[in-house]
Amino acid sequence: MRKSNIAILLAASITVGMLAGCAGHAPESGSGSGSSGGETIKIAVAAPMTGDNSEYGIGFYNAALLKAEEWNQKGGVLGKQIEIVQYDDKNTSEEATTVAQKIVSEKDIVGVIGHFASGVCMTAAPIYQENKIIEISPSSSHPDYSSIGNFIFRNNTIISKEGAASIDIAINDLGKKNIGIISIMTDWGTNTSSIIKDLISKTDAKVVAHEEVMEGSDDYTPAITKLNEAGADVVICCGMYNLVAPVAKQYKQINPDIKIVGFSNSYSQQLIELGGDAVNGVCFPVIFFSESDNEDVKAYVKSFTEKYGNAPSALTSQAYDSVGILLTAIEEAGTTDSEAVREKIAAMDYKGVTGDTKFDEKGDVDKSFIKVTIKDGKFVKLD
Amino acid sequence: MLIQQVFNGLALGMGYALIAVGYSLVFGILRLVNFSHGAIYAFGAEMAMLTISLKFGVLPGILAAMILTGVLGIVIDKVALEPLRKKKSPQIASLITTIGISNIITNLLIVFIGSEKRNFQPIFSQTTVTIGNISISMTQIMMCIVSLLLMSVLMIIVFKTKIGLAMRACEQNPKAANMMGINVNFVISFTFFLAGISATIAGALVSGYYQIVYPNMGFMAGLKAFAAAVLGGIGSLPGALLGGLIVGVSESMAATFLGSTYRDSLAFIILIMVLIIRPHGLFGRKGITKV
Repeated sequence: MRKSNIAILLAASITVGMLAGCAGHAPESGSGSGSSGGETIKIAVAAPMTGDNSEYGIGFYNAALLKAEEWNQKGGVLGKQIEIVQYDDKNTSEEATTVAQKIVSEKDIVGVIGHFASGVCMTAAPIYQENKIIEISPSSSHPDYSSIGNFIFRNNTIISKEGAASIDIAINDLGKKNIGIISIMTDWGTNTSSIIKDLISKTDAKVVAHEEVMEGSDDYTPAITKLNEAGADVVICCGMYNLVAPVAKQYKQINPDIKIVGFSNSYSQQLIELGGDAVNGVCFPVIFFSESDNEDVKAYVKSFTEKYGNAPSALTSQAYDSVGILLTAIEEAGTTDSEAVREKIAAMDYKGVTGDTKFDEKGDVDKSFIKVTIKDGKFVKLD
Repeated sequence: MLIQQVFNGLALGMGYALIAVGYSLVFGILRLVNFSHGAIYAFGAEMAMLTISLKFGVLPGILAAMILTGVLGIVIDKVALEPLRKKKSPQIASLITTIGISNIITNLLIVFIGSEKRNFQPIFSQTTVTIGNISISMTQIMMCIVSLLLMSVLMIIVFKTKIGLAMRACEQNPKAANMMGINVNFVISFTFFLAGISATIAGALVSGYYQIVYPNMGFMAGLKAFAAAVLGGIGSLPGALLGGLIVGVSESMAATFLGSTYRDSLAFIILIMVLIIRPHGLFGRKGITKV
C-alpha cells in the first residue's frame, strides 16, 4: 500500500497545485485574496477536490463560490467581501485531520462547509468543535455526526430518513418484495446497510441477501452472483455513484430485469457518464431536484448552469444552502464571533433551494424527498 | 452458483494471466521484476480508451494503443534501465527504478487525463449465454479465447522464431549471446515491447469487461499478477497462465464463501503456501536466483 499512498500523495500535490492555480483566477476572490488582515470574511470549503469523489468536492466549491458571489454583489456581509477558501481532504480521514488543523490555526476562518463522507466528517468534527469553529456538512448522513458537538451542523437528512425513502421506492413504487443489499465497507456503508435492514424488517418485504464489497474494487460479480442466486428482484446500493454504476452494469449482464435503488449521493452526472445505458431505471430519493418547478430553484439552476455548464446536483445545492445559512447567521448576529453565529444558526428557519431548513437541538434537519429515476440517460421525476 | 463463480474467476484470472506474462517475459531475460508493469497495463488501458474514442473502430484503436504502449516499454528500457545495465549497477537499483517509473507513469496519466474513473465502451457484444442456471457473458468467453490465443502467439514467438531463440539465448547467458552476434540490447527492448503489447491487450479486455478505466487500476492488478507470475514460476509462460487462473478463481471463491474482505488476501495466502512447498513456483526451474 505504501506505493499507492506515495502515488496518491504525489498526484494530489500536483493536482492541488493546479487547482490552487485555478482558484486564484476565480472572480470572487476580488479584493481580499492573500490578505489576512480581516478585510474579507473567509469561509472554508473542505472536501475531496482530487480523486474519485472530486466531483462532489468541486461541486461544493462551485456552489459556495456562486453563493458568495451573489452576496458580494449585494455588498457582502457586515460590509466585507466574502472569500471562499478551498481545502482538499481527498476524502480520507488522515488528510481531513490535517486540513481541519490547518483551518483551525488560520484564525480568520469563520466557518467550514464540508467535509464530504460521513466518516471523514466525523474525524474532523471534534477538532472544529474543540476550537469552536462552525462546521456545516452538506452531505454527512451518519446518525452520530451531529451529536459530536453544538458547533456541528448538517444540511442533509440523517440516513434513517433517507433509507426509509429508498425502501419506499423499492417496495411501493417498484412493487418488489425480495430486497438484496450491496454495501461498501466504510463506516457509512456498514451503518446504512444495518439501518436499512432494520427498517425493512418492519415491512412485509424481506432482505434475501446482503453483500459487503470493498469500495473502489471493480469486480462486483461474486457479490452480484450471490444476490442473484438468492432471488433478489430489487437491489439497494449503499454506496456512491462509483458503486451504483458498475453494479448496474455487471448486474444487468446476468439479470437485465433487476431494479436498482440508490441514495441521494448517487445523484450525479458522473453516474450517467460512468453507467451509460445500464443505469437507466436506477431510482433514488433526493432533497433537491434540478428539474423542479419552484421559481427559486429554477433561477438558481439557471445561474449555476450558466456559470459551470452543468446543472447542480443535490449535494452541491445543499452546499449552496449551507453557505447561505452561514452567511445569513453572520448577518443576523452582526459579528463573526462563532458563539453568536452558532446561536443564530440553531434558531434559524432558512428557506433555500433545498427546501426549509430548521435545525433541531442536535443540528439535524428534516426535509421532504423527491423520487428521481434515470430515463434515456436523463434524471427525471419518478411517477 | 459454484460453477458460475468459477467462470467469473476464470475471466478475472485470464486478465491476471495476461499481465503476469509481462512480468515473466522481462524476468526471464533480465532477472528483473519490472514493477512498472502494473502502470504500463493502466497506460495501455487508458490509451485504448483514447484511441477507441477517436472513432477509427475498436480494433484499429486497440492496435494503435498496443503500439503506443509497446513503444513506452522500449522507452522505459532505453531511458532508465539500459544506462543502469551499462554501468553494471546492482539489481536493486534497477528494481527501485521500475518502482519509480511506475509512479511516474501513473502520475502523468493523472495529470493529463485525470484521476477519476471513466467509462470504457464494451468491446464485445453484451449478450449472455445461458446453460442450465449458469449464465456466462459473451465478454467472459471472449476474454478466455483472446487470452489463450495471445498466450499461444507468445509461445510461438519465444520457442519457434529466430528472435525467440535470441531471447532464450540472452536468458541463459547474455555475455555468451553477445559474443555469438546477438544484439542483446535489441532483444531486451523487443521483450519490453512484447510485454507492453500483452499489457495493453490485458488492459483493453479487463476494462471492456468492467467498462471502467482509471490511472490507478494497475496497482492492485499488477501486484496480484506478480503474485500469479511467482505462483506459476516466474519466467515461465504456461506458469503465468496457470498462476493467473489460480489467483482469479481463488479470489472469486474467497469473495463468495468468505466475503469480499478476504478476496485480496487469499491470493497471497495461496502464493505463500505454494512457495513453501515449491520454492520455484509450479512451473519454475531450479537454479534461478530470485531478486
